[in-house]
Amino acid sequence: MQERIEELSLFIQERCLWQFHSRSWDREENINGVLNKVAEILTGEKVALETLQDKCYYADARILVLEIKDRLPWLDEIDGSELKTVIAGVKEKLLDITVTRSLNAELRVPGY
Amino acid sequence: MPMKLFKCDAAIPEREKHCYIKEPGEDTTQFLPSSNIATIPGSLSERGCSYCGAKLVIGGVIKDCIQMVHGPIGCAYDTWHTKRYPSDNDNFQLKYVWSSNLKEKHIVFGGEKQLKKSILEAFAEMPNIKRMFVYTTCATALIGDDTKAVAKDVEQQLGDVDIFVTECPGFAGVSQSKGHHELNIGWMNEKVGTLEPEIHSPYTINFIGDYNIQGDTYVLEKYLKKMGIQIIAHFTGNASYDQLRGMHRAQLNVVNCARSAGYIANELKKKYGIPRLDIDTWSFDYMSEGLRKIGAFFGLEDEAEAIIAEEVEKWKPQLDHYKKGLIGKKMCIWTGGPRLWHWTKAVEDDLGMEVVAMSSKFGHQEDFEKVIARGRVGTIYIDDGNELEFFEVIEMVKPDIIFTGPRVGELVKKLHIPYINGHAYHNGPYMGFEGFVNMSRDMYNAIHSPLWQLAAKNVGRG
Repeated sequence: MQERIEELSLFIQERCLWQFHSRSWDREENINGVLNKVAEILTGEKVALETLQDKCYYADARILVLEIKDRLPWLDEIDGSELKTVIAGVKEKLLDITVTRSLNAELRVPGY
Repeated sequence: MPMKLFKCDAAIPEREKHCYIKEPGEDTTQFLPSSNIATIPGSLSERGCSYCGAKLVIGGVIKDCIQMVHGPIGCAYDTWHTKRYPSDNDNFQLKYVWSSNLKEKHIVFGGEKQLKKSILEAFAEMPNIKRMFVYTTCATALIGDDTKAVAKDVEQQLGDVDIFVTECPGFAGVSQSKGHHELNIGWMNEKVGTLEPEIHSPYTINFIGDYNIQGDTYVLEKYLKKMGIQIIAHFTGNASYDQLRGMHRAQLNVVNCARSAGYIANELKKKYGIPRLDIDTWSFDYMSEGLRKIGAFFGLEDEAEAIIAEEVEKWKPQLDHYKKGLIGKKMCIWTGGPRLWHWTKAVEDDLGMEVVAMSSKFGHQEDFEKVIARGRVGTIYIDDGNELEFFEVIEMVKPDIIFTGPRVGELVKKLHIPYINGHAYHNGPYMGFEGFVNMSRDMYNAIHSPLWQLAAKNVGRG
């Protein structure tokens, strides 16, 4: 499981700009928002698209899913429960790198 | 240690915290260069100033307004014609340069009357132009001219003009990044929401952080218009002043240059709830991804795929041709900030090149988080690189090509290393599919040109 979390996290670190938005709250919102949508898409759950922000998370998630399905064949082998564990682990890992232990001194500046 | 102190920096050891070489297994929680802090005295910085960031990068691109520079004439001249961002109104903003032409007497007695005279003269000379940007400079900020009061006075006197003042004296902040920030926040606070745009599509966006360098905007807008998407405002490539006043009505902000324009995207999200979608626009792979994301947002996936298929079919053979001469070539990217992270994987994944050293003039730590996450192990990452460091880096990595600005480019050319203008391009546009072919062609021609051998020959001695 840990290997899968590392593999997916590494791909997202290299590929995705939404994890690096300007402030810690932006990053937390994006990481949770996009990865929740990734889980919904991969498990076949109904994806809520009620707000413009929902649609934005969906757009990032939808393309990420297309990219990781090609690269990570184990995504087709695990069930919904295992997948949610992986996604939770990836969230934790990305938040740790980009927020909790980030050395970026601007992350908590109140204004933009 | 992954943080690197170059030999040339022995007398300024503070430079060590700005230079990093990535080692296996490391991430940005362990090492992250210091950035967006004051240049260390003794370091021969390549940075620009706050005024340059506001005027040359963002405001000067806008096509239908007078760009009044309130200061000595050199500030105006030195930011005129140094960057090629055309417009579809016969390049009005590139043809002219405006200045209040401050002299010693104005510094002693105040420059406000001179500014008002200059503004009135400019509007009288160009009666069809009703919009103006005014930029403050070091001199006028130091003497305390109330530029905004002058602008308001003129607006009341003339009645049919709109003026935006950017307080961007060169000494403010540590680099041109401060000018980006001032213009973004000022425009957001004073102008966004003051004009209602005409909406003619169910799909509306602002495209933020692209400045139509040699026609980039035309390439991007061609794709988006084919998808049926209305661009309410392009911040600021080929944009008009009034388009930018209507940014509050878009459904989505698509962001390319997050460094120069992430601020306004963040503020639009906070104030109007418009989400921010960051994309990369250089290379086939990234451009396809960006179009797919915009398509997914609006439910226009088929339209996005049709454009990608058409463009790839049209341009891929040429890309493949140039790729053959670029695989394995070593590249340095010494530009402003975002192009480091936009380009490193773009040229590696699409062209098989190796980016061996990157330097940022005005990037923040956010930019280094992105580029170190994307960049190679063994690559050198530098903040606010100085000229002597560049010499040392060249010795270390022996690059085949360097993307940088004209100033460092002159240095590089004297060493007989191919250089390409990483800010304003050689023969762009470089964005999108056709743009990446242009960029590849310029790299191919630069690397394989016989000129470099000839340049080393003393023709006078046979």
